[in-house]
Amino acid sequence: MSLCCIIVEDLQVAANYLIKCCEKSNLVEVKGHFTNVPDALSFVNENTVDLIFLDVEMPGPSGFELLDQMAFLPKIILTTSKKEYAYDAFEYKVTDFLKKPFSYERFLESLQKVQASPDIPATGAIASDHIYIKSEGKLIRLANESILYIESMGDYVKFVTADKKYITHNTIKNLEDKVDKASFLKVHRSYIINLHKIDDMRENHLFIQGVEIPVSKAFKSLVISRLNIL
Amino acid sequence: MMQPSANKAYVFNEHVNVQYLNNLYSGDYEMIEETFSDVLAEFPSLLENIDAAALTRDLPGLKQAIHKIKPLFGFTGLTAIQTECQDFENACVSHPSFDSILPIFSILNKSIVRAQAIIAEEKARLAIFNSR
Repeated sequence: MSLCCIIVEDLQVAANYLIKCCEKSNLVEVKGHFTNVPDALSFVNENTVDLIFLDVEMPGPSGFELLDQMAFLPKIILTTSKKEYAYDAFEYKVTDFLKKPFSYERFLESLQKVQASPDIPATGAIASDHIYIKSEGKLIRLANESILYIESMGDYVKFVTADKKYITHNTIKNLEDKVDKASFLKVHRSYIINLHKIDDMRENHLFIQGVEIPVSKAFKSLVISRLNIL
Repeated sequence: MMQPSANKAYVFNEHVNVQYLNNLYSGDYEMIEETFSDVLAEFPSLLENIDAAALTRDLPGLKQAIHKIKPLFGFTGLTAIQTECQDFENACVSHPSFDSILPIFSILNKSIVRAQAIIAEEKARLAIFNSR
């Protein structure tokens, strides 16, 4: 099993040590190393990773703030030199907690825990009847059937349901691969819609509960092919 | 990376906790040398943070700077200094004023400067050892 990971760590020595451990194990491919949360967040919003080695105290936002802002969580191994964070680690349901510096054997133990975890996020679409999003400082469960559409707002996206809108840090590009493809379809660079919620479609627009949503020329034939046209 | 060799025996400086280092690197001397090199590269900027915080009498900043440099002593087996750093962090909680923490900091600062010299010396000796 090969996992792809990123390292979020401002101490270069610790990051280099982790990279060496990953290389030595032949079990983990390091996709990137980031020294702060904003850079890491930009990467995970555009790319899929199985695992994040995450430091807590860094310049700017903390590692926990990264977890707060991510819509989809891969496996997390906290790497910190403060055991005081163990309680928070437990609260955030991280897979393991490595106190720096840690031995290579201890590193391997952590990887075993990751591999033993039953819910390694799929690198493709997740077939499920619901998703969890991070919004308003908590994880919110949204049933697929409750989502009307998802709209891009720059570095954020808005999940629109019949009675509420949820804004979370993510991108349409990232979500495109992660939402259930049986229910959702990208129809424009700024929109993913729930196919079951379309009321009508006219030319290059479709309507969901009175909201007009543009359909790109590039996606129009795909949208039509997914409609149950008699 | 080099695996432990029965034919090779490296004698570390007396301040280095050899058992701790062996546990960390499983006797991989090339990895040890690379890490010592990484530590030396990062040491000056972390030391600057300590000096800057001390100069401005910024106690929270000083505690944070010591916290940041602490793992470097773990990576190099200088566990006694690592413990000194932890003790200092704990003392910052019970000594809320900069003046009251100053004597403890002075001792720790000397240890840190001495540690940098030990790491540099070990790195140089490890390079020779690994090139044999």
